[in-house]
Amino acid sequence: MKNRTYANSVHFYGILWDITALALFLLIPVGICVHLGVWPKGEFVLKGLLPVAMLFYPTSVIEVFTYTPLLGAGGTYLSFVTGNITNLKLPCGLNAMENAGVRANSEEGEVISTIAIATSSIVTTLIIAVGVVAFSPVLPYLTDDNSVFAPAFDQVVPALFGALGISYFMKHWKLAIVPNAAIILLLLCSGKLATGVLIPVGVVISLLSAHLMFKKGWLDK
Amino acid sequence: MDFKSDAFMYTVGALVVVFVIAQSVFFLVRAWRRAKELGIETSTLKKTVSSGALFTIAPAIAILATVLTLSGALGLVLPWIRLTVIGAISYEVPAAEAAIEAFGSTAGLSREVTDPTVFSTIAWVMTLGSIMPLVLVPFMLKKIQKGLGKVAAKNGKWADAMSAAAFIGLISAFIGRAVVGKGEAEIIGDGAGVMSLSALLSSMLFMFILQKIADKFQIKWLQPFAMPFSMILAMVVVMVLSLVLPESVAALEWRG
Repeated sequence: MKNRTYANSVHFYGILWDITALALFLLIPVGICVHLGVWPKGEFVLKGLLPVAMLFYPTSVIEVFTYTPLLGAGGTYLSFVTGNITNLKLPCGLNAMENAGVRANSEEGEVISTIAIATSSIVTTLIIAVGVVAFSPVLPYLTDDNSVFAPAFDQVVPALFGALGISYFMKHWKLAIVPNAAIILLLLCSGKLATGVLIPVGVVISLLSAHLMFKKGWLDK
Repeated sequence: MDFKSDAFMYTVGALVVVFVIAQSVFFLVRAWRRAKELGIETSTLKKTVSSGALFTIAPAIAILATVLTLSGALGLVLPWIRLTVIGAISYEVPAAEAAIEAFGSTAGLSREVTDPTVFSTIAWVMTLGSIMPLVLVPFMLKKIQKGLGKVAAKNGKWADAMSAAAFIGLISAFIGRAVVGKGEAEIIGDGAGVMSLSALLSSMLFMFILQKIADKFQIKWLQPFAMPFSMILAMVVVMVLSLVLPESVAALEWRG
Protein backbone atom coordinates (compact mmCIF):
# COMPACT_ATOMS: atom_id res chain seq x y z
CA MET A 1 0.00 0.00 0.00
CA LYS A 2 2.75 2.36 1.11
CA ASN A 3 4.66 1.31 -2.03
CA ARG A 4 2.06 2.79 -4.36
CA THR A 5 1.89 5.96 -2.34
CA TYR A 6 5.58 6.68 -2.86
CA ALA A 7 5.49 6.01 -6.61
CA ASN A 8 2.38 8.13 -7.02
CA SER A 9 3.80 10.96 -4.99
CA VAL A 10 6.98 10.95 -7.11
CA HIS A 11 4.85 11.43 -10.21
CA PHE A 12 2.65 14.06 -8.58
CA TYR A 13 5.54 16.20 -7.34
CA GLY A 14 7.65 15.42 -10.38
CA ILE A 15 5.04 16.80 -12.75
CA LEU A 16 4.53 19.83 -10.50
CA TRP A 17 8.28 20.62 -10.43
CA ASP A 18 8.73 20.03 -14.15
CA ILE A 19 5.88 22.33 -15.12
CA THR A 20 7.19 24.99 -12.73
CA ALA A 21 10.65 24.55 -14.29
CA LEU A 22 9.16 24.91 -17.77
CA ALA A 23 7.43 28.17 -16.78
CA LEU A 24 10.56 29.49 -15.10
CA PHE A 25 12.79 28.68 -18.07
CA LEU A 26 10.38 30.42 -20.45
CA LEU A 27 10.45 33.46 -18.20
CA ILE A 28 14.23 33.78 -18.63
CA PRO A 29 14.17 35.04 -22.25
CA VAL A 30 11.04 37.08 -21.42
CA GLY A 31 12.94 38.69 -18.54
CA ILE A 32 15.97 39.37 -20.74
CA CYS A 33 13.75 41.07 -23.33
CA VAL A 34 11.97 43.22 -20.73
CA HIS A 35 15.27 44.15 -19.11
CA LEU A 36 17.01 45.04 -22.39
CA GLY A 37 13.88 46.68 -23.80
CA VAL A 38 14.10 44.75 -27.07
CA TRP A 39 11.80 42.12 -28.52
CA PRO A 40 13.20 40.03 -31.34
CA LYS A 41 10.94 39.58 -34.36
CA GLY A 42 9.18 36.22 -34.35
CA GLU A 43 10.52 35.43 -37.80
CA PHE A 44 14.14 35.67 -36.60
CA VAL A 45 13.44 33.38 -33.67
CA LEU A 46 11.67 30.93 -35.97
CA LYS A 47 14.47 31.08 -38.52
CA GLY A 48 16.99 30.25 -35.81
CA LEU A 49 14.79 27.66 -34.15
CA LEU A 50 13.75 25.70 -37.23
CA PRO A 51 17.05 23.95 -38.10
CA VAL A 52 17.77 22.97 -34.50
CA ALA A 53 14.19 22.03 -33.63
CA MET A 54 14.08 19.68 -36.62
CA LEU A 55 16.83 17.66 -35.03
CA PHE A 56 16.32 18.21 -31.32
CA TYR A 57 12.56 17.80 -30.98
CA PRO A 58 12.60 14.27 -32.42
CA THR A 59 15.77 13.37 -30.49
CA SER A 60 14.22 14.55 -27.24
CA VAL A 61 11.30 12.16 -27.81
CA ILE A 62 13.80 9.33 -28.32
CA GLU A 63 15.76 10.43 -25.24
CA VAL A 64 12.68 10.42 -23.04
CA PHE A 65 11.84 6.91 -24.23
CA THR A 66 15.33 5.45 -23.89
CA TYR A 67 16.48 7.04 -20.65
CA THR A 68 13.30 6.78 -18.60
CA PRO A 69 13.51 3.02 -17.97
CA LEU A 70 17.12 3.46 -16.84
CA LEU A 71 16.78 6.58 -14.70
CA GLY A 72 13.64 5.69 -12.78
CA ALA A 73 10.78 8.17 -12.23
CA GLY A 74 12.44 10.50 -9.72
CA GLY A 75 15.68 10.43 -11.65
CA THR A 76 13.86 11.27 -14.88
CA TYR A 77 12.02 14.26 -13.43
CA LEU A 78 15.32 15.59 -12.09
CA SER A 79 17.50 14.74 -15.08
CA PHE A 80 15.40 16.42 -17.72
CA VAL A 81 15.43 19.66 -15.74
CA THR A 82 19.20 19.78 -15.31
CA GLY A 83 20.24 18.08 -18.55
CA ASN A 84 23.65 16.61 -19.32
CA ILE A 85 22.07 13.19 -19.15
CA THR A 86 24.35 11.03 -21.31
CA ASN A 87 27.59 12.46 -20.00
CA LEU A 88 26.59 12.76 -16.35
CA LYS A 89 23.21 11.81 -14.91
CA LEU A 90 22.82 8.43 -16.60
CA PRO A 91 26.31 7.05 -15.81
CA CYS A 92 26.01 8.47 -12.29
CA GLY A 93 22.66 6.75 -11.66
CA LEU A 94 23.76 3.46 -13.22
CA ASN A 95 27.00 3.52 -11.26
CA ALA A 96 25.15 4.09 -7.98
CA MET A 97 22.70 1.26 -8.58
CA GLU A 98 25.53 -1.08 -9.45
CA ASN A 99 27.51 -0.13 -6.33
CA ALA A 100 24.46 -0.58 -4.11
CA GLY A 101 23.61 -3.88 -5.81
CA VAL A 102 20.04 -2.95 -6.74
CA ARG A 103 18.15 -3.42 -10.03
CA ALA A 104 17.01 -0.48 -12.16
CA ASN A 105 13.37 -1.48 -12.21
CA SER A 106 12.96 -2.18 -8.50
CA GLU A 107 11.86 0.37 -5.93
CA GLU A 108 15.29 0.14 -4.29
CA GLY A 109 16.79 1.03 -7.67
CA GLU A 110 14.38 3.95 -7.95
CA VAL A 111 15.39 5.53 -4.63
CA ILE A 112 19.12 4.90 -5.05
CA SER A 113 19.11 6.37 -8.55
CA THR A 114 17.11 9.39 -7.32
CA ILE A 115 19.57 10.00 -4.48
CA ALA A 116 22.58 9.74 -6.81
CA ILE A 117 21.09 11.96 -9.50
CA ALA A 118 19.93 14.58 -6.99
CA THR A 119 23.42 14.68 -5.47
CA SER A 120 24.93 14.96 -8.92
CA SER A 121 22.60 17.85 -9.85
CA ILE A 122 23.48 19.76 -6.69
CA VAL A 123 27.23 19.27 -7.10
CA THR A 124 27.20 20.20 -10.82
CA THR A 125 25.17 23.34 -10.18
CA LEU A 126 27.44 24.46 -7.35
CA ILE A 127 30.67 23.80 -9.26
CA ILE A 128 29.51 25.75 -12.31
CA ALA A 129 28.21 28.63 -10.17
CA VAL A 130 31.42 28.89 -8.13
CA GLY A 131 33.49 28.67 -11.32
CA VAL A 132 31.52 31.43 -13.02
CA VAL A 133 31.88 33.74 -10.03
CA ALA A 134 35.61 32.97 -9.82
CA PHE A 135 36.23 33.59 -13.52
CA SER A 136 34.04 36.66 -13.98
CA PRO A 137 36.75 39.21 -13.00
CA VAL A 138 39.35 37.88 -15.48
CA LEU A 139 37.07 37.07 -18.37
CA PRO A 140 37.11 40.51 -20.05
CA TYR A 141 40.91 40.27 -20.37
CA LEU A 142 40.70 36.79 -21.87
CA THR A 143 38.17 37.62 -24.56
CA ASP A 144 39.26 41.17 -25.48
CA ASP A 145 39.88 41.53 -29.23
CA ASN A 146 43.53 42.44 -28.70
CA SER A 147 44.37 39.74 -26.17
CA VAL A 148 46.58 36.82 -27.21
CA PHE A 149 43.60 34.55 -26.50
CA ALA A 150 41.33 36.24 -29.05
CA PRO A 151 42.34 34.05 -32.06
CA ALA A 152 41.68 30.98 -29.91
CA PHE A 153 38.18 32.16 -29.00
CA ASP A 154 37.50 32.74 -32.71
CA GLN A 155 37.98 29.00 -33.25
CA VAL A 156 35.80 27.65 -30.42
CA VAL A 157 33.38 26.00 -32.82
CA PRO A 158 35.89 23.99 -34.93
CA ALA A 159 37.71 23.03 -31.71
CA LEU A 160 34.48 21.73 -30.23
CA PHE A 161 33.21 19.86 -33.26
CA GLY A 162 36.60 18.35 -34.00
CA ALA A 163 36.65 16.64 -30.61
CA LEU A 164 32.95 15.79 -30.63
CA GLY A 165 33.16 14.60 -34.24
CA ILE A 166 36.11 12.28 -33.84
CA SER A 167 34.51 10.55 -30.86
CA TYR A 168 31.46 9.74 -33.04
CA PHE A 169 33.54 8.91 -36.12
CA MET A 170 35.70 6.45 -34.19
CA LYS A 171 32.60 4.51 -33.18
CA HIS A 172 30.61 4.94 -36.38
CA TRP A 173 33.08 5.67 -39.17
CA LYS A 174 30.87 4.07 -41.80
CA LEU A 175 28.04 6.48 -40.96
CA ALA A 176 30.35 9.50 -41.16
CA ILE A 177 31.52 9.25 -44.77
CA VAL A 178 28.37 10.14 -46.71
CA PRO A 179 27.17 13.21 -44.73
CA ASN A 180 30.64 14.76 -44.46
CA ALA A 181 31.34 14.27 -48.17
CA ALA A 182 27.91 15.66 -49.07
CA ILE A 183 28.32 18.79 -46.92
CA ILE A 184 31.80 19.53 -48.27
CA LEU A 185 30.57 19.13 -51.87
CA LEU A 186 27.64 21.41 -51.12
CA LEU A 187 29.93 24.06 -49.62
CA LEU A 188 32.33 23.84 -52.56
CA CYS A 189 29.41 24.79 -54.79
CA SER A 190 28.06 27.46 -52.46
CA GLY A 191 30.51 28.46 -49.74
CA LYS A 192 28.24 30.91 -47.95
CA LEU A 193 25.61 28.36 -46.95
CA ALA A 194 25.00 28.84 -43.24
CA THR A 195 24.93 26.05 -40.67
CA GLY A 196 21.19 26.69 -40.29
CA VAL A 197 20.78 25.26 -43.80
CA LEU A 198 23.59 22.73 -43.55
CA ILE A 199 22.32 21.10 -40.34
CA PRO A 200 18.96 19.85 -41.67
CA VAL A 201 20.56 18.84 -44.99
CA GLY A 202 23.35 16.98 -43.18
CA VAL A 203 20.94 15.28 -40.80
CA VAL A 204 18.54 14.12 -43.51
CA ILE A 205 21.36 12.81 -45.75
CA SER A 206 22.97 11.12 -42.77
CA LEU A 207 19.72 9.46 -41.65
CA LEU A 208 18.90 8.24 -45.17
CA SER A 209 22.34 6.78 -45.73
CA ALA A 210 22.40 5.20 -42.26
CA HIS A 211 18.98 3.62 -42.88
CA LEU A 212 20.10 2.25 -46.26
CA MET A 213 23.35 0.91 -44.81
CA PHE A 214 21.41 -0.71 -41.98
CA LYS A 215 18.99 -2.38 -44.41
CA LYS A 216 21.87 -3.61 -46.57
CA GLY A 217 23.54 -5.05 -43.49
CA TRP A 218 26.65 -2.91 -43.94
CA LEU A 219 26.62 -1.80 -40.34
CA ASP A 220 27.02 -5.34 -39.00
CA LYS A 221 30.58 -6.08 -38.16
CA MET B 1 28.70 47.58 -17.89
CA ASP B 2 28.27 44.86 -20.47
CA PHE B 3 24.57 43.99 -20.71
CA LYS B 4 25.44 40.29 -21.08
CA SER B 5 26.83 40.14 -17.56
CA ASP B 6 25.09 42.89 -15.60
CA ALA B 7 23.49 42.54 -12.18
CA PHE B 8 20.17 41.50 -13.72
CA MET B 9 21.71 38.57 -15.57
CA TYR B 10 23.55 37.40 -12.46
CA THR B 11 20.30 37.58 -10.48
CA VAL B 12 18.56 35.39 -13.06
CA GLY B 13 21.48 32.96 -12.90
CA ALA B 14 21.28 32.84 -9.10
CA LEU B 15 17.52 32.19 -9.25
CA VAL B 16 18.05 29.24 -11.58
CA VAL B 17 20.70 27.83 -9.23
CA VAL B 18 18.33 28.13 -6.25
CA PHE B 19 15.53 26.44 -8.19
CA VAL B 20 17.66 23.50 -9.31
CA ILE B 21 19.08 22.94 -5.84
CA ALA B 22 15.63 23.20 -4.23
CA GLN B 23 14.21 20.57 -6.58
CA SER B 24 17.16 18.25 -6.06
CA VAL B 25 17.03 18.57 -2.27
CA PHE B 26 13.27 17.95 -2.32
CA PHE B 27 13.64 14.66 -4.20
CA LEU B 28 16.76 13.68 -2.30
CA VAL B 29 15.05 14.00 1.09
CA ARG B 30 11.96 12.07 -0.02
CA ALA B 31 13.99 9.29 -1.64
CA TRP B 32 16.19 9.08 1.46
CA ARG B 33 13.15 8.66 3.74
CA ARG B 34 11.64 6.04 1.45
CA ALA B 35 14.97 4.19 1.31
CA LYS B 36 15.01 3.96 5.11
CA GLU B 37 11.46 2.56 5.04
CA LEU B 38 12.60 -0.02 2.52
CA GLY B 39 15.33 -1.05 4.91
CA ILE B 40 18.32 0.17 2.93
CA GLU B 41 21.25 0.82 5.26
CA THR B 42 22.28 4.39 6.01
CA SER B 43 25.87 3.51 5.11
CA THR B 44 24.75 2.47 1.61
CA LEU B 45 22.88 5.76 1.21
CA LYS B 46 25.84 7.79 2.40
CA LYS B 47 28.09 5.92 0.00
CA THR B 48 25.63 6.65 -2.82
CA VAL B 49 25.80 10.37 -2.05
CA SER B 50 29.58 10.54 -1.73
CA SER B 51 30.30 8.45 -4.82
CA GLY B 52 27.67 10.41 -6.78
CA ALA B 53 29.34 13.66 -5.75
CA LEU B 54 32.85 12.40 -6.59
CA PHE B 55 31.69 11.00 -9.91
CA THR B 56 30.21 14.39 -10.78
CA ILE B 57 33.23 16.60 -10.12
CA ALA B 58 35.08 15.82 -13.36
CA PRO B 59 32.14 16.19 -15.77
CA ALA B 60 31.01 19.32 -13.90
CA ILE B 61 34.41 20.95 -14.40
CA ALA B 62 34.16 19.88 -18.02
CA ILE B 63 30.82 21.71 -18.26
CA LEU B 64 32.39 24.76 -16.63
CA ALA B 65 35.11 24.71 -19.29
CA THR B 66 32.38 24.78 -21.94
CA VAL B 67 30.76 27.76 -20.25
CA LEU B 68 34.10 29.57 -20.43
CA THR B 69 34.67 28.81 -24.10
CA LEU B 70 31.18 30.08 -25.01
CA SER B 71 31.59 33.17 -22.85
CA GLY B 72 33.74 34.88 -25.48
CA ALA B 73 30.69 35.40 -27.66
CA LEU B 74 27.81 35.30 -25.18
CA GLY B 75 29.24 36.52 -21.87
CA LEU B 76 29.44 34.24 -18.85
CA VAL B 77 25.87 34.30 -17.60
CA LEU B 78 23.77 33.01 -20.52
CA PRO B 79 26.01 29.95 -21.12
CA TRP B 80 26.02 29.40 -17.37
CA ILE B 81 22.23 29.39 -17.18
CA ARG B 82 21.85 27.31 -20.32
CA LEU B 83 24.32 24.65 -19.20
CA THR B 84 22.87 24.52 -15.69
CA VAL B 85 19.40 23.65 -16.95
CA ILE B 86 18.73 21.12 -19.71
CA GLY B 87 21.70 22.37 -21.68
CA ALA B 88 24.24 20.16 -23.34
CA ILE B 89 27.04 21.50 -25.46
CA SER B 90 25.98 19.57 -28.56
CA TYR B 91 22.68 21.44 -28.42
CA GLU B 92 23.61 24.92 -27.20
CA VAL B 93 26.25 25.70 -29.84
CA PRO B 94 24.14 24.89 -32.91
CA ALA B 95 21.18 26.74 -31.36
CA ALA B 96 23.22 29.89 -30.73
CA GLU B 97 24.85 29.71 -34.16
CA ALA B 98 21.51 29.27 -35.93
CA ALA B 99 20.07 32.24 -34.02
CA ILE B 100 22.99 34.49 -35.00
CA GLU B 101 22.69 33.36 -38.60
CA ALA B 102 19.04 34.31 -38.67
CA PHE B 103 20.36 37.89 -38.72
CA GLY B 104 22.40 37.18 -41.84
CA SER B 105 25.79 36.85 -40.18
CA THR B 106 28.01 33.88 -40.92
CA ALA B 107 30.52 34.85 -38.24
CA GLY B 108 28.48 32.96 -35.63
CA LEU B 109 30.07 32.47 -32.24
CA SER B 110 33.50 33.59 -33.40
CA ARG B 111 32.43 37.21 -32.73
CA GLU B 112 31.27 38.74 -29.47
CA VAL B 113 27.54 39.40 -29.59
CA THR B 114 27.02 43.10 -28.91
CA ASP B 115 23.51 43.69 -30.23
CA PRO B 116 20.82 43.21 -27.53
CA THR B 117 18.28 42.08 -30.14
CA VAL B 118 20.60 39.34 -31.40
CA PHE B 119 21.37 38.37 -27.82
CA SER B 120 17.70 38.09 -26.84
CA THR B 121 17.00 36.05 -29.99
CA ILE B 122 19.77 33.66 -29.00
CA ALA B 123 18.23 33.34 -25.53
CA TRP B 124 14.84 32.53 -27.08
CA VAL B 125 16.17 29.98 -29.55
CA MET B 126 18.31 28.23 -26.93
CA THR B 127 15.32 28.07 -24.57
CA LEU B 128 12.58 27.08 -27.03
CA GLY B 129 14.78 24.49 -28.70
CA SER B 130 15.69 22.71 -25.50
CA ILE B 131 12.47 22.62 -23.47
CA MET B 132 10.84 19.78 -25.42
CA PRO B 133 11.71 17.09 -22.86
CA LEU B 134 10.05 19.16 -20.13
CA VAL B 135 6.90 19.31 -22.21
CA LEU B 136 6.99 15.57 -22.88
CA VAL B 137 8.04 14.15 -19.52
CA PRO B 138 5.00 15.23 -17.46
CA PHE B 139 2.61 13.65 -19.97
CA MET B 140 4.55 10.64 -21.05
CA LEU B 141 6.56 9.32 -18.15
CA LYS B 142 3.79 7.32 -16.49
CA LYS B 143 2.78 5.73 -19.80
CA ILE B 144 6.35 4.90 -20.77
CA GLN B 145 6.92 3.24 -17.44
CA LYS B 146 3.95 1.02 -18.16
CA GLY B 147 5.88 -0.65 -20.95
CA LEU B 148 5.89 1.56 -24.02
CA GLY B 149 9.66 1.76 -23.64
CA LYS B 150 9.93 -1.87 -24.67
CA VAL B 151 9.08 -0.98 -28.27
CA ALA B 152 12.16 1.22 -28.50
CA ALA B 153 14.26 -1.46 -26.88
CA LYS B 154 13.16 -4.03 -29.49
CA ASN B 155 14.62 -2.07 -32.40
CA GLY B 156 17.65 -1.11 -30.37
CA LYS B 157 20.32 -1.52 -33.03
CA TRP B 158 18.48 0.46 -35.66
CA ALA B 159 17.59 3.18 -33.12
CA ASP B 160 21.24 3.41 -32.03
CA ALA B 161 22.44 3.77 -35.61
CA MET B 162 19.81 6.41 -36.38
CA SER B 163 20.53 8.53 -33.33
CA ALA B 164 24.28 8.38 -34.04
CA ALA B 165 23.55 9.27 -37.68
CA ALA B 166 21.48 12.29 -36.65
CA PHE B 167 24.35 13.66 -34.57
CA ILE B 168 26.91 12.90 -37.26
CA GLY B 169 24.75 14.83 -39.73
CA LEU B 170 24.76 17.81 -37.37
CA ILE B 171 28.50 17.57 -36.75
CA SER B 172 29.23 17.31 -40.48
CA ALA B 173 27.63 20.74 -41.02
CA PHE B 174 30.17 22.34 -38.68
CA ILE B 175 33.12 20.33 -39.94
CA GLY B 176 32.26 21.27 -43.52
CA ARG B 177 32.20 24.96 -42.60
CA ALA B 178 35.59 24.71 -40.86
CA VAL B 179 37.10 23.06 -43.94
CA VAL B 180 35.61 24.95 -46.89
CA GLY B 181 33.09 27.51 -45.54
CA LYS B 182 33.15 31.14 -46.68
CA GLY B 183 33.09 33.94 -44.12
CA GLU B 184 32.68 37.69 -44.43
CA ALA B 185 35.55 38.95 -46.61
CA GLU B 186 36.50 41.75 -44.22
CA ILE B 187 36.44 39.70 -41.00
CA ILE B 188 39.40 37.55 -40.03
CA GLY B 189 38.66 34.39 -38.06
CA ASP B 190 35.21 33.50 -39.37
CA GLY B 191 35.88 31.67 -42.66
CA ALA B 192 37.62 28.35 -43.30
CA GLY B 193 41.37 28.82 -43.29
CA VAL B 194 44.64 27.96 -41.61
CA MET B 195 43.24 28.69 -38.16
CA SER B 196 39.91 26.89 -38.42
CA LEU B 197 41.55 23.81 -39.93
CA SER B 198 44.31 23.81 -37.30
CA ALA B 199 41.67 24.00 -34.55
CA LEU B 200 39.59 21.22 -36.11
CA LEU B 201 42.44 18.81 -36.81
CA SER B 202 44.36 19.37 -33.59
CA SER B 203 41.23 18.93 -31.51
CA MET B 204 40.48 15.67 -33.37
CA LEU B 205 44.02 14.49 -32.80
CA PHE B 206 44.03 15.35 -29.08
CA MET B 207 40.67 13.66 -28.59
CA PHE B 208 41.85 10.57 -30.42
CA ILE B 209 45.01 10.33 -28.31
CA LEU B 210 43.28 11.06 -25.00
CA GLN B 211 40.56 8.50 -25.64
CA LYS B 212 43.11 5.88 -26.61
CA ILE B 213 45.09 6.60 -23.44
CA ALA B 214 41.97 6.47 -21.28
CA ASP B 215 40.88 3.17 -22.84
CA LYS B 216 44.26 1.50 -22.89
CA PHE B 217 45.28 2.33 -19.33
CA GLN B 218 41.72 2.20 -17.98
CA ILE B 219 41.93 5.76 -16.63
CA LYS B 220 38.30 6.37 -15.71
CA TRP B 221 38.67 9.98 -14.57
CA LEU B 222 40.17 10.97 -17.91
CA GLN B 223 37.11 9.96 -19.93
CA PRO B 224 34.91 12.97 -19.12
CA PHE B 225 37.90 15.30 -19.45
CA ALA B 226 38.92 14.09 -22.90
CA MET B 227 36.59 16.46 -24.70
CA PRO B 228 37.19 19.72 -22.77
CA PHE B 229 40.95 18.99 -22.68
CA SER B 230 41.01 18.47 -26.44
CA MET B 231 39.05 21.68 -27.00
CA ILE B 232 41.31 23.73 -24.77
CA LEU B 233 44.51 22.18 -26.16
CA ALA B 234 43.31 22.88 -29.71
CA MET B 235 42.63 26.49 -28.72
CA VAL B 236 46.14 26.69 -27.27
CA VAL B 237 47.52 25.40 -30.59
CA VAL B 238 45.61 28.15 -32.41
CA MET B 239 46.92 30.76 -29.97
CA VAL B 240 50.52 29.61 -30.40
CA LEU B 241 50.19 29.45 -34.19
CA SER B 242 48.79 32.97 -34.28
CA LEU B 243 51.88 34.14 -32.38
CA VAL B 244 54.57 32.25 -34.31
CA LEU B 245 53.23 32.11 -37.88
CA PRO B 246 53.74 35.13 -40.15
CA GLU B 247 50.49 37.06 -40.26
CA SER B 248 49.93 36.39 -43.95
CA VAL B 249 49.83 32.65 -43.22
CA ALA B 250 47.90 32.81 -39.94
CA ALA B 251 45.18 35.01 -41.43
CA LEU B 252 44.85 32.97 -44.61
CA GLU B 253 41.23 32.04 -45.29
CA TRP B 254 41.00 30.24 -48.60
CA ARG B 255 37.47 31.24 -49.39
CA GLY B 256 37.21 34.62 -47.68
